[in-house]
Amino acid sequence: MNRVAIVTGGAKPDSIGFAVVQGLLAEGCEVVVADLYTEGFSALKSCLCIRTDVADPASVEAMIRKTVERHGRIDILVSCVGGSWGITPQDLTAPPRRGFLGLTNCELADWRTILGANLDSAFYCSRAAAPHLKKQGGAIVNVASVAARKGIPPGAEGSSGPYAVAKAGVMGLTRQLALELGEFGVRVNCVAPGVIASGRLKKVLSLTGKDRGPEGPLLAGIPMGRVGTVAETAALIVALCGDDTAYMTGATLDVNGASYLA
Amino acid sequence: MSRSGLTGKTALVTGAASGIGQAIARRLAAEGVKVFATDIHPQAGLIVADLTSSEEVERLAGQVSGIEFLVNVAGGPVAPSRENSLPRLPTEPVGLEEIDDTQWARVLAANLTTAFLVCREFAPRMKARRFGRIVNFSSIAARRGSDRVGAHYAAAKGGIIGLTKTLALELGPYGITANAIAPGFISTPRIEQAGWGQRSPEAHRRFIESLPLKRLGKPDDIAGVVAMLCSDAGGYVSGATLDVNGGLYFGP
Repeated sequence: MNRVAIVTGGAKPDSIGFAVVQGLLAEGCEVVVADLYTEGFSALKSCLCIRTDVADPASVEAMIRKTVERHGRIDILVSCVGGSWGITPQDLTAPPRRGFLGLTNCELADWRTILGANLDSAFYCSRAAAPHLKKQGGAIVNVASVAARKGIPPGAEGSSGPYAVAKAGVMGLTRQLALELGEFGVRVNCVAPGVIASGRLKKVLSLTGKDRGPEGPLLAGIPMGRVGTVAETAALIVALCGDDTAYMTGATLDVNGASYLA
Repeated sequence: MSRSGLTGKTALVTGAASGIGQAIARRLAAEGVKVFATDIHPQAGLIVADLTSSEEVERLAGQVSGIEFLVNVAGGPVAPSRENSLPRLPTEPVGLEEIDDTQWARVLAANLTTAFLVCREFAPRMKARRFGRIVNFSSIAARRGSDRVGAHYAAAKGGIIGLTKTLALELGPYGITANAIAPGFISTPRIEQAGWGQRSPEAHRRFIESLPLKRLGKPDDIAGVVAMLCSDAGGYVSGATLDVNGGLYFGP
């Protein structure tokens, strides 16, 4: 019996989620991709792709229902959806917003959008998937961020304070779920990536010009002297879904090139 | 699960005669890694070395070559010796006043100095090839303190975390990662020999029941995490401490 895995935010090419989908397919999983970016579905013919707004509990519950109708079970949930400004259909194609949104100059609507995309989404998905995961055990992997550890420096282009708060919430969510689901053989962990060369990063860099030359200010705080790749981050997430990490739960795995040592 | 980035590499595993070290050596070998294994205790196929001595570490370095993965497992709550590589663990909690100067020095040497000497010896070779993965061993005793094995062991394993973070900063520019694993309670020959759980089976049962995953760990649980860190999946993980404890402690 193939394991059934759901990956939210797995449809955009050049994203961590997309690479996780490829990794889980290579492991022999049946993969369900839940995303708003339906344009990406044509590149995922071997997956069940479901248009899902993860910030909407009804949309999430419908996605879980369709998954179980098709595959009969859920073994793995990877919540990759997220972003500094929240997720709306327009964000998927529009250029990223400029400037820095802090907590003190944040409109309530922005706060809600960003928390919804980054924290509520992981809660809705794990709550809806939990009854199915509990039947045979499995794994949940959430994606936090180095921003949860160190915050976002005021002025950082293309980023936001609420994002740092939401990602810290993801770490707390991970720990609480680990306690609640452990006895059912469901492990819950998260990764906290630093700067990863995803399509989104390239988009932000195109605004600021920081991608010119390897000695850019972006690399100054990274002892490994490079940004992370989507492939290695995804490989780590896939490893957290598998038996090699069978005794890890509630953990946050920092993957940041030694840029922040928790 | 087989991992990419392991086959054809070369590893040195210390403390490899039994338990966690042995499981790691076997796992890496099963992945197609050429494994040099060392222990203080003579055993077939192992290089014998007392890693608290820089002369012996230097001699060890002369007997191996091409090390890309360095896995420093050697250590334990009671310092091993050539005569007794698997010393009995105390059955009662070790209090501060019971730790004499010699015990303090020996436990620090066995758990912290060993890792320092081995890293110092092998880091230049890794820098020269601009690739390396260092995995050091901390402990749950360092992460949340220990009411069992004593302040000397907790302090030494805390030192491992500081050592590892500094290695990550220093060696990162050379393509070398350095991480620590902090195991929780793992069923090893040493733990079983100490009879933890036998003196008070009821308390032991309650302890296991208190773990989110409802079981003690196995040496293979740790070996899997080492394989992950050495593989391509670990390429951008550096300076981290990985808690592998069944949910007993979640990290700072």
